[in-house]
Amino acid sequence: MTNLHEIIEPYVDIDGGLMPALHAIQEEEGYISKDAISELAKAFNYSNAEVLDVLTYYDDFTLEPLGRNIVRICRAEACQSLKSKELTDDLTSHFNLSLDETTADSKITLKEVFCLGNCALGPSVMINETVIGEADKSKVIKFLNEIDE
Amino acid sequence: MMSAKTKIYIPNETTSNSVGSNDINRVISSLKGFDEVEIIRNGSWGAFWLEPFIEVEKDGERKGACYKGVDLSHCKTIDDFMTDFQNREPFDISRIDFIKKQMRIVFSRIGKGDPLDIAFYQSNKGFNSLRNALNLESQEVIDKIKKSGLTGRGGAAFPTGIKMQTVHDQNNSIKYLACNADEGDGGTFSDRLIMESDPFSLIEGMTIAAYAVGASKGFIYLRSEYPLAKSFLSKAIDIANKNNFLGNNILSSDFNFEIDLRIGAGSYVCGEETAMMESIEGRRGLVRSKPPLPAINGLFEKPTLINNVVTLATIPPLLNGSLSEFSEIGSGKSIGTMPFQLCGNILQSGLVETGFDISIGDMIKTFGKETKSGKPIHAIQIGGPLGLYLSSSMMSTKLTIESLQSIKGSVGHGGIVIFDDSVDMSEQAKFSMEFCAKESCGKCTPCRIGSIRGMEIIDRLQINKSSKQDIDLLHDLCETMEATSLCAMGGMTPNPIYSIINHFPGELTKE
Repeated sequence: MTNLHEIIEPYVDIDGGLMPALHAIQEEEGYISKDAISELAKAFNYSNAEVLDVLTYYDDFTLEPLGRNIVRICRAEACQSLKSKELTDDLTSHFNLSLDETTADSKITLKEVFCLGNCALGPSVMINETVIGEADKSKVIKFLNEIDE
Repeated sequence: MMSAKTKIYIPNETTSNSVGSNDINRVISSLKGFDEVEIIRNGSWGAFWLEPFIEVEKDGERKGACYKGVDLSHCKTIDDFMTDFQNREPFDISRIDFIKKQMRIVFSRIGKGDPLDIAFYQSNKGFNSLRNALNLESQEVIDKIKKSGLTGRGGAAFPTGIKMQTVHDQNNSIKYLACNADEGDGGTFSDRLIMESDPFSLIEGMTIAAYAVGASKGFIYLRSEYPLAKSFLSKAIDIANKNNFLGNNILSSDFNFEIDLRIGAGSYVCGEETAMMESIEGRRGLVRSKPPLPAINGLFEKPTLINNVVTLATIPPLLNGSLSEFSEIGSGKSIGTMPFQLCGNILQSGLVETGFDISIGDMIKTFGKETKSGKPIHAIQIGGPLGLYLSSSMMSTKLTIESLQSIKGSVGHGGIVIFDDSVDMSEQAKFSMEFCAKESCGKCTPCRIGSIRGMEIIDRLQINKSSKQDIDLLHDLCETMEATSLCAMGGMTPNPIYSIINHFPGELTKE
């Protein structure tokens, strides 16, 4: 598991290095595997349970791989006022997914998020790291088609 | 004679990009003759309803126009674009009421230039305050902050100078500064706008605060939902280091300070200062009991100054000639300017920096105008998910800290979310409980379990409208959550629900 070791290594000696190490693994591997948990435990002198305890607290860290594209629909108040509930219904029925589910071809994972700071031009959807303002179903589908080309 | 190149300003900022700024930049950068103009990716002016707002500066005159939904495919050359631009009746944004009627002290540079252009920052007063501060004793800096009347803009509104004094007075060779950039309240974006469109002002504010309290290391705890802010901040920190505004012997003084950017991982409670410290230290974001205060025993058990982004970015103007202007605005606890964030279902949405002493009605009339949907306003939530819902009959309510406190509310981080009359207040009440259930750190039972019971009670009330037993139970539950939760998550979740019961009679049960 040299690769995991290499990912973790830069964070081992910094204060509170576990969080950035978890982020680095999530970004590189797409999820936190059992091997990664053992490697982190060894590196930071924790038990496996302690690492699991930390990572399961945070929504960003997952124990399973997600889809290649993560679509986060904002459900916070400003977006609610501009019909984010209807948008959520539109997207869940279009992709035939519930929130936190991934399409069979692993292309898309649908998630909810509470505030993207784009409250002035809601409803907002974040696809990977791109925020779409005044979002509707067609904008989201168009964007997903474009990045898939 | 060389004439100055025409400049085209295309914002690079989350909200502007979310409606097409990046796409417009791609198109303009591919036009024939684009090398004859200078393209500047500026920050946003915060007049978000105008985004993407494209400006052209020519012969000393700078004007802009809204390019939302504009198809530029008919443009082949830069000249074609210029013709298109002129046809859109461009105007000077600094002269429109939305900007002109604000009091922009903290957000004075926003939108004007490239956020990472350190020369632009310096030619607009940037780093003058740091120079001034380093020539003062640390106590003199703190005295100025105290004198300004500045209170924390993150939500709790604690006097900033007193907090700094406490950290300053600790006898410890290691102290920390932690900037809370976990701007999680729905309906807020002022921290994000600073970090994306004027990041050096945060770095300068942090460096001054660190000097004042004697901290040599600072952390910025940034929420992961802000990837563009992360990119701007990390670049700005690098540039500041290279230019000796951070690092060792800052500006040839004997003061050393470094900033470490840490990224959150999707937890709302980590915006609570003690949970934030747990997270920075690499643990679950569980709230700590106070005392000890973080100012005495905080990050890694060292004295720690914790402030939010806007609070820290307010420090530079205070040490650069704007102190008396700032402190003369407002009274009581509500001193200085506050960046309100006008959003949701509102026509003219954006950032409004103004004094606190304005009614919600005037805020809407002057800056927001009317709802985006054109329907009547039904409810206004002030101060984030833990803030009150005001009804349309409460338009004279002032936005001062005192006024909102007197009706059991809070200015919080300055978010103002407008709802039209299609809103279902019963669903909003249920959402308050749902949000608490999802985001509770789990430490206190009334917050962890009570919020789930609260959702169930409101569910039942939606079906059986007049169940007195359930209404009493909801009151009981809210009182328990309020009295026995360690932090504001459980303790203030009942506030929006109370406000719906009090100000929207009959609507909790959909009667």
